[in-house]
Amino acid sequence: MQHSEIEVRGCKLNMRRGGRGEPLLYLHGAQGLNGHEPGIDALAENFDVIAPDHPGFGKSDLAGDVDDIADLALFYLDVLDLLDLGRVHVVGQCIGGWLALEIAIRNTGHIKSLTLVNSAGLRVKGVPRADMFVCSEPDLLKLLFAGDFGSEWLQSWRASSDAEDIYDRNRAAAARYSWAPRLCNPKLDRWLHRIDVPTHIVWGDEERLIPFAYATALKQRIPGATLATIAGCAHMPHVEKPQAFAGEISKFIRSAAR
Amino acid sequence: MKIFIFHLMPYADLDMGYADKYRAAWVVLPNTYFDPKKGHELYNRYLDELELAAELGFDGISVNEHHQNAYGLMPSPVVTASALSRRTKSARIAILGNAFCLREHPLTVAEEHAMIDCITGGRLITGMVRGIGAEYFSLGVNPAYSHARFQEAHDLVVEAWTKPGPFSFEGKYYHFDYVNLWPRPYQQPHPPIWAPSTGSTETIEWAAHPSRKYVYLQAYSPTRSVARYLNYYRECAQRMYGYTAASNQIGWSTPVYVADTDEKARLEAKPHIEVLFNKLLRLPFEMLFPPGYLSTKSLKNMRSHKHSVSGQEHTVDTLIEQGIIVCGSPDTVRKQFMDTHRLLGFQNLLCLLQFGTLPRDLTEKNIRLFAREVMPALQALTDKEYAGMEVRAAE
Repeated sequence: MQHSEIEVRGCKLNMRRGGRGEPLLYLHGAQGLNGHEPGIDALAENFDVIAPDHPGFGKSDLAGDVDDIADLALFYLDVLDLLDLGRVHVVGQCIGGWLALEIAIRNTGHIKSLTLVNSAGLRVKGVPRADMFVCSEPDLLKLLFAGDFGSEWLQSWRASSDAEDIYDRNRAAAARYSWAPRLCNPKLDRWLHRIDVPTHIVWGDEERLIPFAYATALKQRIPGATLATIAGCAHMPHVEKPQAFAGEISKFIRSAAR
Repeated sequence: MKIFIFHLMPYADLDMGYADKYRAAWVVLPNTYFDPKKGHELYNRYLDELELAAELGFDGISVNEHHQNAYGLMPSPVVTASALSRRTKSARIAILGNAFCLREHPLTVAEEHAMIDCITGGRLITGMVRGIGAEYFSLGVNPAYSHARFQEAHDLVVEAWTKPGPFSFEGKYYHFDYVNLWPRPYQQPHPPIWAPSTGSTETIEWAAHPSRKYVYLQAYSPTRSVARYLNYYRECAQRMYGYTAASNQIGWSTPVYVADTDEKARLEAKPHIEVLFNKLLRLPFEMLFPPGYLSTKSLKNMRSHKHSVSGQEHTVDTLIEQGIIVCGSPDTVRKQFMDTHRLLGFQNLLCLLQFGTLPRDLTEKNIRLFAREVMPALQALTDKEYAGMEVRAAE
C-alpha cells in the first residue's frame, strides 16, 4: 500500500492506496488502521483499495468543523468529489460502517455497493452494545477478538512510541465521533430506506461488542440487503480472518454489484 | 492565610468488600450499596461538621461535586451549599468546584450560584472544574470536548453574571436567545472564581491570565507537585503575562489529621485515610482518563509516571512521606504548614478534616484540635513569612 496525503478544505488526510481493480473505499472503525491490516491487503488483490485515516485518526489532521458522524459523512462526500473516482464500492467496519450508512442515506451518487462489517450506527432498543471505552485493555481485547490474537495486535501498537501515540489519538477521535449516544445515531433507522445500492452485511460470528441483533436489524431495514457471517472472529474480521473477510466482500461484489 | 475546611461527604458505610467484585467505587458500583437511611445520617452529620468549623472560626467551608460514586455524595454541591447558607453567618461558602460544562444548560447552575450569593450577602466562592474523567461516563458527556466546553461554559456564566440582559449567547456548544439572569450575583462584578485541579499546566495558564487572575488550588498531590504547580502559577504570571501574582491567587488542598502526638495521629488516621485512597478513590486508568479528556501528550505523561494518586496502593506512612496528607501532633502539623508556606507563599489552605471512614467523634476532635492549636498560627501568616522566589522576567 502506498501512502499519500490529500488536502480536503485545509484538512490533511493520510491515505493508503494499493491494488488493482475497481475502486473500493475502505472506511476504518473505532480502532483505526495500524498499518498492517491483512484484510485490507487481501482486498487489494481484487480492488484498487483506498483507505484514508479519518480526521483525527492515524496521521490525519483533526478537522475543526467535523464534530460528529453527520459532519464526517458530509466531509466524505467532499472527499469522494475530490477523488473523482466515479462510483466506488464502499466497505466500512464498526464506526466506518456507521459512517458509510450516514453517507448513503444522504447521497448514494458516488456509491456502487455498500458492505457493512460489524457495523455501528443503529440502536436496537433493549439490546445494549458493549462499552469499549470503559473496559480495561485485556477486556477490550476479549471484545474485539474471538481468539487470542489480541495481545499480538496490542503489542504492535506498543512497538514504537509513534504507534502508541496513534493508538491514543485513535481512541480520542473515536470518542469524539461516537461517545454519546455510544456508537449510534438513534434516528438513523428512520432513513435507511433511502439506501438504493446493493448492500451486504458481514458479521463476525463471535461478535460481542455489537450483538448480532444489529446485523438482522440492518438487513430488515435496508432494502434488498443480504447478510453473511464469518466464522472464528469477533469485531475485527479484517484482522482476525483476513482471507475470509476479503473473500466474502469480493464474492458479494462479483455477484450482486456488477 | 485563609483557612477553609473541605468535605467530600463520602459514603462511609460502604461495604468495602465491594472491591472483590467491582473495579471501582465509581461508574459501575451498583447503587444498591447505598442505604438511604445511612445516607440521611451521614449528610446531616457531615453538615454538622462543616457548621462546627464555621463556628470555630474557619474562614470558609467548602463542598464539591462528583457523580455516581461512593467517594463523594454531592452530585449537586449547590444543595449542600444552600443548606449551609442559612446556618452560617460569616464564613465563606466555597463550591470547589461545580462542573458547569457537564450540564447541557450551565445557566441553571449560574442562577443557583447567584441565589446563594444573594442569600449569603456575598459569601460565595465559585469553583469551576471539568469534573474528573469518570463523570464523563456517568453523565454521558463527550470527554473529547471537555476542555472546549469548560471554556465556553465559563464564558457564558461570567457573561450572564456581568453583562446586562437580555442578550443572546452564540457559542459552539451553548446557544441561548435570552440570557437574562434573575437574580444577579450579590458580589460585583461576580463571586470569586477558583480553579481547583490535581495538576494541569493548561488550567494554570488559563487561571493566571490577567483577565481572570483566578485562584488556582492544587489538590491531592505530593509536596513536590504542589511546589511545582504553585510556583508555575507565579512563573506563568511573570513570564507569560508580565505581572507578579499575588499570594492569594494560589492555594493548597490536602487531608489533615491532628492528634496529641505524632504516633497517635498516625494510628487514629490510618484505617480511615487508607480507605479513602485505596477503596473510595479506586478508579482504573480508563475511567480516570477517558479518551480525549487529556491531550495525547498529557495522557502519555500520566501513563509513564503513574503519578496519579489513585494509581497505587497507599499506606498512611507513604501518604505522610510523600506529603499527600499532613498528619501528626499540632506542633508537627503547624510546622509543616509554616515550612511549606515559607517556601511557596500560598495564602489559601483547604483542609480535608473528615476523610474515608473517619467517624464522628474523631472528626470532631480533629476539627477542634486543628482550630485551636494549628489554625491561629496559620491565619497569621502573610507574605512577610514567605521567602519568595526568583522569577525571571519575560525575555
